[in-house]
Amino acid sequence: MSAMPIEDVAIDVMTDRPWITLVWNDPINLMTYVTYVFQTYFGYDKPKAELLMLDVHEKGRAVVSSGTREEMERDVAAMHSYGLWATLQKDD
Amino acid sequence: MFKSGLGGKLTLKLDDAELGVLSQLFEQMAELLEHPESEAGTDPLAKMLNMSGSTQISEDPALARLFPDGYPGDEHASADFRRFTEQDLRAQKLAALATVRDSLIDWSGKCSITAQQAQHWLKALNDLRLVLGTRLEITDEVETDFEADEPGIHLYNYLTYLQGTLIDALT
Repeated sequence: MSAMPIEDVAIDVMTDRPWITLVWNDPINLMTYVTYVFQTYFGYDKPKAELLMLDVHEKGRAVVSSGTREEMERDVAAMHSYGLWATLQKDD
Repeated sequence: MFKSGLGGKLTLKLDDAELGVLSQLFEQMAELLEHPESEAGTDPLAKMLNMSGSTQISEDPALARLFPDGYPGDEHASADFRRFTEQDLRAQKLAALATVRDSLIDWSGKCSITAQQAQHWLKALNDLRLVLGTRLEITDEVETDFEADEPGIHLYNYLTYLQGTLIDALT
């Protein structure tokens, strides 16, 4: 995977983001649909959304967001509303 | 099929055969969502507080796919998450279905779709593909024979095509 944009790294270092949302690969959701959902819900630009989608597709899963537990529960519920298979966990 | 039109609006064109198939599938989907298994034992106070959702993942693989566990390997946290989210999620899915079913009433061959309606179409079509795909046991995109001459596969391929035209029209 390519290097994270500098501003993202800065945010990650500065804030405590102990929980993560994972999206898992599944054989039904279309790649274009998954990319569209990442752009629409998270507001990611197309290259970032496509990289995350490819990570899901090729590695079986990808971390799509991080934050507080409450924020991640909100993100997971939103992913479920789009029919994506998402879970949250503590980032160890 | 969906096409992008003027002013950000989309148009949807369906022939009679497509209309018949979609109406039937959306109706079956609504039935599946309207009859959750665990209505029994609902606490009225919990219901009033909108907390009466079930706590366990469905034994029906299609419903389990629509309402998966939130915490892998943590039954207790998954149950809590489900209690607080599943009812709302089910209501959202039913609302999307109601929108798409409404637009098929008095169908005249084609109609105009607003941006908000398009989001409902997108989710409803995706839910249909998830349910049908799970029922067809599509567990591996390489091993599934999408050329197979089976009614289920034909339906699934049609839904994939239709959803594809919607994503193209939106992007």
